[in-house]
Amino acid sequence: MTRIVVVTSGKGGVGKTTSSASFASGLALRGFKTAVIDFDVGLRNLDLIMGCERRVVYDLVNVIQGEANLHQALIKDKHCENLFVLPASQTRDKDALTEEGVEKVLNDLKQMGFDYVVCDSPAGIERGAVMALTFADEALIVTNPEVSSIRDSDRILGILQSKSRRAKEGQEAVKEHLVITRYSAKRVDEGEMLSYKDVQELLRVPLLGVIPESETVLQASNAGSPVIHNKESDAAEAYEDLVARFLGETREMRFVSYEKPGILKRIFGGA
Amino acid sequence: MAKPIEFKAGSLHAMSAVLREIDNVRLADALQVMLGGIGEFFAGEPAVIDVTQVTQFPTRIDWPGLQSLLRRYGLQPVALRGAPEALHAGARKAGLAILDGLDKEPQLPVTPATETPPAPEPVAAPAPSRGSPMVIDRTIRSGQQIYARGSDLIVLGAVSNGAEVIADGNVHCYGPLRGRALAGASGERSARIFSSNFGPELIAVAGVYRTFEQGIPQALAGRAVQARLQGEGEQASLLLETLITD
Ligand SMILES: Nc1ncnc2c1ncn2[C@@H]1O[C@H](COP(=O)(O)OP(=O)(O)OP(=O)(O)O)[C@@H](O)[C@H]1O
Ligand SMILES: [Mg+2]
Repeated sequence: MTRIVVVTSGKGGVGKTTSSASFASGLALRGFKTAVIDFDVGLRNLDLIMGCERRVVYDLVNVIQGEANLHQALIKDKHCENLFVLPASQTRDKDALTEEGVEKVLNDLKQMGFDYVVCDSPAGIERGAVMALTFADEALIVTNPEVSSIRDSDRILGILQSKSRRAKEGQEAVKEHLVITRYSAKRVDEGEMLSYKDVQELLRVPLLGVIPESETVLQASNAGSPVIHNKESDAAEAYEDLVARFLGETREMRFVSYEKPGILKRIFGGA
Repeated sequence: MAKPIEFKAGSLHAMSAVLREIDNVRLADALQVMLGGIGEFFAGEPAVIDVTQVTQFPTRIDWPGLQSLLRRYGLQPVALRGAPEALHAGARKAGLAILDGLDKEPQLPVTPATETPPAPEPVAAPAPSRGSPMVIDRTIRSGQQIYARGSDLIVLGAVSNGAEVIADGNVHCYGPLRGRALAGASGERSARIFSSNFGPELIAVAGVYRTFEQGIPQALAGRAVQARLQGEGEQASLLLETLITD
């Protein structure tokens, strides 16, 4: 059974594409046959973060419009055997995403035996975002610990409840997971940032993971390699935990508490 | 051959927009505050403009302006009730039917009532007419609106900031109330709002509202609170009391 997972947020720039890339890679590393689709038609970002931008020949819109088939358009990931990327088009507009077209692509992926299809949603609450979530079985709601991002996530949760196929057909609701990104335990400690508990209390969605603010995220995206592969970094470990929790394992939340540096460290510095 | 037109007696279920004064600018402000500028708050229901409670009538009334104001919120003004004779001609010209006099004629038997009994015509405030309450299990998200027409509303999840819950009867919120709650939406002054975790943006009972721009009073924030109307007419205000729950 293929599970379709949308990664969405409402607000832009909160870490959807970063999370889609690492989440999809994490699932593939666990042996699941996974596809990750960029729904951000017109902007196209996922292929850069996955480091496959030079191998893009066909894209999602080509497939929807019958100009290429899935086998031609899917790009095999350079790190993971089981991972395939379906990029977005840079030249078309969002109207090219029709509901029937998207449904057909997803059904074809099911036929091809994918375990997971991860849909990287564009920002906003318009067509592209709605198309990305319409067929979802589960949703990762990516939120930064700040009021406007929380409000937009709340909004997109409402849209998920009303516009998803599951909602419209009265099936079991889309399973919601909260992903808090760009989290700084230090700033929370200093009272400058909402804590992950505050965010969860406001959104009332089960917490799947907290990803710390980390410089390695930018480095990884510049290098075209999802951050989950940067083994030593906090962000990679946090994404690894997130994938494990998604697959039903219990993992304690890490990187959520701040240890004030001891006096020696303050005097002598150090890592 | 079928006749091109036929006439059948029927009754129409309509909203009453009970005005206390006729000043389009002030009404626009009040609606903005009550309904938060939500276009299409109503779903195109026919509405009777009821001015029986108005004490001072201006000499000229901008009926088209008033009609378009109501239409902005999704109401279809079709008729007028309670206006002095002098205003009838203008209202008719604006396409409003004058109900005075017609009302008093014997009512045609209504089809067997399912929820609402054939209520006597409302005079001032509509009498409470309650269907079974609407129960919402989930959290109501920003941008969503729930309206329990003719009944109480029970919300088991939270009401998020930017969400709105409305009932013609009482509103009961078991999760945190962070958005807007409006009870007695068609004028029932005895309606109340109950919240087990109080923190709304706005509450209103029968059109008397209160906002919390300066934050929720310390004594009420996060507590179990009920809101109800106290006082009459112009003096009416919302009374907020904490509830003892243990
Ligand atoms: N944990 C993190 N630590 C530091 N920077 C991060 C983190 N997550 C994301 N970023 C940065 O935030 C920016 C936006 O990330 P990303 O492109 O993943 O967001 P998005 O939600 O997909 O944006 P859009 O809405 O434009 O599609 C990028 O510059 C990325 O490097
Ligand atoms: Mg993106």
